Amino acid sequence: MNPSASRIKVQPATESEGRKDYIRIQDFGFWYGAKKALDAISLDVPERRVVAFIGPSGCGKSTLLRNLNRMNDLVDGIRHEGDIQIAGRSIYDPGIEVISLRRRVGMVFQKSNPFPKSIYDNVVYALRIMGVTDRAVLDEACETSLRKAALWDEVKDRLNDSALGLSGGQMQRLCIARAIANRPEILLMDEPCSALDPIATGKIEELIHELKAQFTIVIVTHSMQQAARVSDRTAFFYLGKLIEYDTTEKIFMNPSQAQTEAYISGRFG
Amino acid sequence: MSENSKQSPDAPTPARFQVSRFTLLADTWMGRLIRFGGVSVVVAVLGMLVFLVCQVLPLFSGAKLESLTPVTFEKTAVGFGEDEYGELPFTCDAAGKLEFRHAYSAAGAAAGVVTKTWSPTLAPGQKVTTIRTYPRDGLVILGLSDGNILEVKVTYKIAFDEKGGRTPQPQIVALPAQQLGKKLLPCLDVWSVKGPNGHMVICRQQEAGHDFLTAARLTEKSGMGGPVVTAGNAFSVASDIPDLERVFVPSTADSVIVVRKDGEVRVYTIEEEEVSFLQSFKPFASLPDSRIASAGLIFGNVSLVVNSFNGVEEVWSIYPQVQSNGQTQRRWGKIHDCEPLAGAGQGIFPAVGNKCYLTVAGGRMQIRNMTNGSLRWDAPAPAAEIQQVVFSRNYDRLAVLSADGVLRRWSIEDHHPEASWNTFFGKIWYEGASAPAYTWQSSSGADEFEAKYSLVPLLYGTIKGTFYALLFAIPIALLAAVYVSQFLRPELKKIIKPTMEVMASLPSVVLGFLAGLWLAPIVDANLLPLICLVAALAPAALTAGFAWSSLPQPIRRKVGPGWEFAYLIPFVVFCGWLAWQAAPMIESTFFSVKDLASGQTISDFREWWRQNSGWSYDSRNSIVVGFVMGFAVIPIVFTIAEDALSNVPDALVSGSLALGASRWQTVWSVVVPTAISGIVSGIMIGFGRAVGETMIVVMATGNTPVMEANPFNGMRTLSANIAVELPEAAVGQTHYRALFLGACCLFALTFIINTFAEILRQRLRERYKVV
Repeated sequence: MNPSASRIKVQPATESEGRKDYIRIQDFGFWYGAKKALDAISLDVPERRVVAFIGPSGCGKSTLLRNLNRMNDLVDGIRHEGDIQIAGRSIYDPGIEVISLRRRVGMVFQKSNPFPKSIYDNVVYALRIMGVTDRAVLDEACETSLRKAALWDEVKDRLNDSALGLSGGQMQRLCIARAIANRPEILLMDEPCSALDPIATGKIEELIHELKAQFTIVIVTHSMQQAARVSDRTAFFYLGKLIEYDTTEKIFMNPSQAQTEAYISGRFG
Repeated sequence: MSENSKQSPDAPTPARFQVSRFTLLADTWMGRLIRFGGVSVVVAVLGMLVFLVCQVLPLFSGAKLESLTPVTFEKTAVGFGEDEYGELPFTCDAAGKLEFRHAYSAAGAAAGVVTKTWSPTLAPGQKVTTIRTYPRDGLVILGLSDGNILEVKVTYKIAFDEKGGRTPQPQIVALPAQQLGKKLLPCLDVWSVKGPNGHMVICRQQEAGHDFLTAARLTEKSGMGGPVVTAGNAFSVASDIPDLERVFVPSTADSVIVVRKDGEVRVYTIEEEEVSFLQSFKPFASLPDSRIASAGLIFGNVSLVVNSFNGVEEVWSIYPQVQSNGQTQRRWGKIHDCEPLAGAGQGIFPAVGNKCYLTVAGGRMQIRNMTNGSLRWDAPAPAAEIQQVVFSRNYDRLAVLSADGVLRRWSIEDHHPEASWNTFFGKIWYEGASAPAYTWQSSSGADEFEAKYSLVPLLYGTIKGTFYALLFAIPIALLAAVYVSQFLRPELKKIIKPTMEVMASLPSVVLGFLAGLWLAPIVDANLLPLICLVAALAPAALTAGFAWSSLPQPIRRKVGPGWEFAYLIPFVVFCGWLAWQAAPMIESTFFSVKDLASGQTISDFREWWRQNSGWSYDSRNSIVVGFVMGFAVIPIVFTIAEDALSNVPDALVSGSLALGASRWQTVWSVVVPTAISGIVSGIMIGFGRAVGETMIVVMATGNTPVMEANPFNGMRTLSANIAVELPEAAVGQTHYRALFLGACCLFALTFIINTFAEILRQRLRERYKVV
């Protein structure tokens, strides 16, 4: 099937094994008004692993992702049932500020969305709004994040230039750098490579491998190759239901559901 | 090879690819029409600008004098007079002989034909000792060797011949001689003034080396054989003035100004027949040569232009001054230093009807304007000494008689002698004022009134009105825009946005009407409660916000996002009510003053303000105007800013929120900077609206052109000034053009501000542009 998938599985697994149920989604149902978008989803995301959500358009994978940091809160008429826990605590706990949740759960969007500010200001944005003003701290965070996002060498001489002058791939890596600058634990990626060319996509994918050592990553993707290349586990959604969730190898090599098999082999989607 | 490429290039295009001729034609013509429309707009705007500038430019051109053919008289001429059109001037010589010569055509003037001569009939033994002509009054006054004076009146009758040609014919009437001065002493000088206070003659005689002045009021009645003049009692004006050199008698006949040879000026006031010494001053006391070379009393009778032998020229005028005893009295003092002259002063000859004068010095003749100091005209002076200079009543002709008997004549084209850069934008010391000031006062009841056209108070008023309007409008409009675009429920936004847009179309005359007739009295009656109310709103809202954020999550979550205002409004209303109720207490605690009228202690913020701020309090004031003009500005600023804020891509908002920013942090650090160019546009368009707003200011400001930052008085803006005064300004007059200059200033003001704003906006857009 996908030869690279197996290669990736042989990653230098820094097997300081974390929690198996770092993100625990339990019987999660979700409605946009009267429309049910998710139906009784239950899955666990292990710590410092990459989990890919795949499925045809409108299957609810993005909805579920956006629930992990409660970005859907802004949408009118939403309703949910069941629960999502991160590190053992419900994200709907009244004692949890949605803001602090989002600091813990960073997000990278489908379309890169750098702020119309300088590269530097973009990267340290999260720190600034947290009230960090110490220039040294900001500088250090900026460099670290950009290095982690593999962008440092390309932009280190023009940190004060507008971020909008970067290429598409650079912008997306900048958004990743921005998302990891305040050291979240989880990184949600919503089709981060869909607007990028293959070279930029390759760089982002490499980056995801690097980041896995530190972050728990949930990635939504339309590209099964990408899911196969970057993820440890893959969840296949269809019509708001979780059809199959297993190791990536299993999903791609030997799916247990017929729908998964049909989707993966390109018979619909 | 495909099928198409085999076709020859000349092959006709298949019909299905052909474009109909009509489409092409319509495309061409619509293109032209649109281009024409665009060019027309540019041309119209430029045309307006050109029109404004054309209306204004004449203000700044000096006088144009065109030389007319000079008339040559006898060299013995000492004075002259002329008719209204300067067609038949006459001279008189030392013996009182009048000689009329043609001047109604260039040829006639050159020929110098004598049309008439006349000599006075004197009693035996009488001789003419002095003579003075008042050309504009057609008056020649002779002083005789026996202390008598003889007034000769010259009037012109116009005769028309068959062809319609007109010929002026002089009519000379000699009034009976009047004994005025001391008998048997020759009159050395005579003056006659006619004014609102009657007709007065003054003569100078000398006895034992001392000059003295005697005056008498004359009453004239028409009798059987001509006018009968009766002289009142002769009274002494000044009995002993050493080294008297010149005397000026204002046409008001209420004072006499005497200039002595050493440069001292003495002023005597005359009330009926009582003469009292008022003041003496020495204009050039500080110069090595303190003598006055020449002097002239400017039209209006309150300003004396004096110059020295060193070419220094000054204007002295009578104005209220604080005396050493603490009282304010009208006294003479220097009000202007004029431009230095080319040499020693040789004569100052005032015009009539305006504040211009001809000054002769160092071989130059200059027409200057006394008030604004502008030089209207400069030309070489005739070599011979100038005897007399006459400006016509309408300031359209100038005639100069020199000692060689030549009467040089010019026609004057100077429609705006009172206009200069200084008049409009400088601080000017007007006659009667105690200090230089920026004054706009375009009309009054008196003819001799000098209109004051400083645009500075109007510019100040414009800026002030705009400032108060924007002070009120900008924060509200921008905060509302941020709130509506970022926080409000979409369904409410659908109602509020169009409502605000409808507000923008409220006719400003309605707003002005409401402001002037409804709001101003309410504000006036409830000033302090309203101030307390407004002052309480912001803290109340902030407190409410703080209290809200301290509430635990579960309670907060019960209020849906976008409905927080439902909790805020009652709180703020309650605080406002509290402030309103507390106002009387605050007023009586902090703002109790002694009422000047009754002597009782009253609690009145307005009275307190009057007594403690040093400023006035008017019910039509900047606060009211700012508030109501703010209403006119808010919808515009709101609409544009709200659009800009709403157009910020959701991706940026989500990006910021996903990074753990609060909604407010997102708005402040991402949404507002991204929308900043639109916000700046909104502010600038609001600014433009406030600057140009007319009806509200006309109706609610009181239109007083004062320059005070005082929030509790009115102002007059450039636009209101144009609206108020243009209907009463005569086309082409200085007032009319001054109003157009105001329009130019308004244009320039908005142009500069908008250009600046546009540059700023472009920069901001460049900086915060979104991919």
